Amino acid sequence: MSEHDEGRRAFIVGAVGAGAAAGAVLVETAYAKTQKARAPSTKNPAAAEAPAADHAVETFDGHGVFFNDEHGETVAAFAERLMPGAPGKPGARDANVLNYIDLALAGAYADQQDFYRRGLAQLDVYCRKTYSQPFVKLSAAQQDEVIGALEQGKASEFEFPTAQAFFNTLRAHTMEGMFADPVYGGNKDFAGWKLVGFPGTQLYYTPADLASKEAFTRAPIVGLQARAKAGTKGA
Amino acid sequence: MATEKTDVVIVGMGAVGGVMAAELGKAGLKVIGLERGPRLKTADFQLDELRYFQRKDLRPSPKTQPVTWRPNASAAAMPLPQMDYGNQAGGGTVHYGAVSWRLHEDDFHARTQTIERYGLSAIPQDSTLADWPLSYAELEPFYDKAEYDIGVAGKAGNLQGRKIAGGNPFEAPRQREYPLPPLTKDQPSILFEAGAQKLGFHPFSTPHAILSQPYKGRPACTYCTYCQAFGCYIGAKSSILVAKLPEADATGNVTIKTGAMCYRVNSSGKRVTGVSYYGPDGSDNTIEAEIVVLGTFIYDNTRLLLLSKTDAFPNGLANSSGQVGKHLMAHMMPTVFVGFEDRHVNTYMGPSAQKYTVDDFNADNFDHGSLRFIRGAQISVGTPNLEGGPISFSTTAPPPGTPRWGAAYRDYLAKYFTRFAVMVAQTENLPYGDQTIDLDPAVRDQWRLPAPRLTYDWRRPNETARVEYMVKKMEEIGHAMGGNTVWRGPLSPGLPGAHHEGGTRMGNDPNTSVVNKYGQSWDIHNLFIVGSSTFPSMSGFNPTLTIEALAYMSADAIANKYKKSPGALL
Repeated sequence: MSEHDEGRRAFIVGAVGAGAAAGAVLVETAYAKTQKARAPSTKNPAAAEAPAADHAVETFDGHGVFFNDEHGETVAAFAERLMPGAPGKPGARDANVLNYIDLALAGAYADQQDFYRRGLAQLDVYCRKTYSQPFVKLSAAQQDEVIGALEQGKASEFEFPTAQAFFNTLRAHTMEGMFADPVYGGNKDFAGWKLVGFPGTQLYYTPADLASKEAFTRAPIVGLQARAKAGTKGA
Repeated sequence: MATEKTDVVIVGMGAVGGVMAAELGKAGLKVIGLERGPRLKTADFQLDELRYFQRKDLRPSPKTQPVTWRPNASAAAMPLPQMDYGNQAGGGTVHYGAVSWRLHEDDFHARTQTIERYGLSAIPQDSTLADWPLSYAELEPFYDKAEYDIGVAGKAGNLQGRKIAGGNPFEAPRQREYPLPPLTKDQPSILFEAGAQKLGFHPFSTPHAILSQPYKGRPACTYCTYCQAFGCYIGAKSSILVAKLPEADATGNVTIKTGAMCYRVNSSGKRVTGVSYYGPDGSDNTIEAEIVVLGTFIYDNTRLLLLSKTDAFPNGLANSSGQVGKHLMAHMMPTVFVGFEDRHVNTYMGPSAQKYTVDDFNADNFDHGSLRFIRGAQISVGTPNLEGGPISFSTTAPPPGTPRWGAAYRDYLAKYFTRFAVMVAQTENLPYGDQTIDLDPAVRDQWRLPAPRLTYDWRRPNETARVEYMVKKMEEIGHAMGGNTVWRGPLSPGLPGAHHEGGTRMGNDPNTSVVNKYGQSWDIHNLFIVGSSTFPSMSGFNPTLTIEALAYMSADAIANKYKKSPGALL
């Protein structure tokens, strides 16, 4: 958040206040910082080379079409507690669950935008009242307490949506983001499918596969777009 | 506003409409079929769990086509959260699990069977359990035709009275084998078979309308996972869309209009004259026909009659009996999960619905003398929600003591997704007169028509006792399968479960039923109402093959009897 804001400020300063050359440097810095903030796990090629980069590299691991930054961070933190990542066990952040939910709310679930806005506002009131902090500033243990209270319907600040409805929806959407085909913006690199051992859109299983007591490992995991591009599906 | 004329108009192009359009077209009748949804192609179907399982792409939308539910007449009705019937040409058979049963002989006379074996007092006083107006033997030729026409895979258990090992020993006698051998056994089936046999039960491969070998130009099943909830990506599932609509096209006598929402059956006195429907562009159109067939899902068979009331039929068309909308039934689907430590089960592979079955506790196949309920359930092994992907698994309840979220839940999913199976008991819930479908006074659908309203609560003494009995049987089987962890899924809070049936009951008496065994209205002889809305009782079996067999029988009666001398068939 702070790096992101710093980057945005630098961009604005560069654009309106300085000369062309200085401005370009500031823009680059801002771009680099933005990219770093958005994709902390990858190196930043734009900073080292590409002085004339004409577009930012989208990594589709955050938000951008529906949530504001505060709501995006809250949803990402909430989803991560529902499905926490650990070494060798990809969680909600690894699977880009936030990106899935953000895209869904701008598309198929547009009718639930108000549900989310109100739910997140109520969550904020509840957390500030109970812990004097917003959800994202709480410790993992405190966040789990909050989620448990919602699940049990104990957070009386919630009217619409009810605490349980909000919990159930975030849980369902987190699972969708973990396990739906990556074409929907989650399940990055098949993180969810790898977690549970699901081989994805396999076109067939053999009699030996069906009778096997072992995990299925014969074919690579395949998603819908790769399947369509290869032209391997269909009558 | 267009007006057309035809011999027969059929409302709904699903299991009933597809069969009857093809058969009546072959008999030389001009048919117009109305389908409110689209007509999709096999190439349209994706292997996408989010779209088809979770978001129910092939079902009506609860938002634009709501159906409301209340547990009793004094409670407020609320929209059902999801719909489990079809919304396109081919109807529910596009997404169904394709389980294809013939009913037992005693399913056709459950009332008489119960009274003879246990006495009248065994039937709950408020139940309206009734015999069917036809016997298994009468329907058998049409079951046979349906199985061979559309392609069903299975193993006979009773060939002309001779018991055959490997089939269902409780099945009614059939004249010949299934057209296709059973589907290949998978791990859940193998484990279930061994466990059930250990207990002395009689497991067998569930008959499916899924091709185990190439048949009539369609390819064999590839066991790909994407089965119930999905359209089959190669057309190996014998849906009406791929098995009957091409036949209807080939007759040259059938026109299918998609995006066509029928809102009224038009009539003059005791004769129907056709139907009115809204087109995809909102246009208001009329078809004049000599015969009207209602072949929609049960909600709309009832709703259309109620919406089409006249001075002659002030309580709904063809409703002089007052029985329209009564005796709603649904299968409850209690589940038991089985988890394994020492092996993978890979439940996601293969046909996802009710893979392997024991029929020992269905119908009157077991003695109810010392029990507190009548009738039974089909117990089968398969996937949760009849669908084997990870989103489906994430919607189910973990074992007691395991949370629904957090690190422990993540580890549970990671461990058990490939190491579990689940059983379901599909219970034969009895009909009751106060379980009804009517018009919701407050909720309207996208066409401004009042939504169908269900009044229903399965939690009656006979039904809850049966559910508890079946859950215990499934727990026994789960342990016999070698499961390390065996746990129950949650029960529905009163809502109707799967396979809603009833609303336009068939019978022998015009005073207590809406139609005769041919689906012909007692009141209006050129009106036919066909489908599971006519079932007087539901059996523990999936209804589709029986719906199709009845559609063949009705088409046969229209083509060979009614066409020659229009009038009452009985």
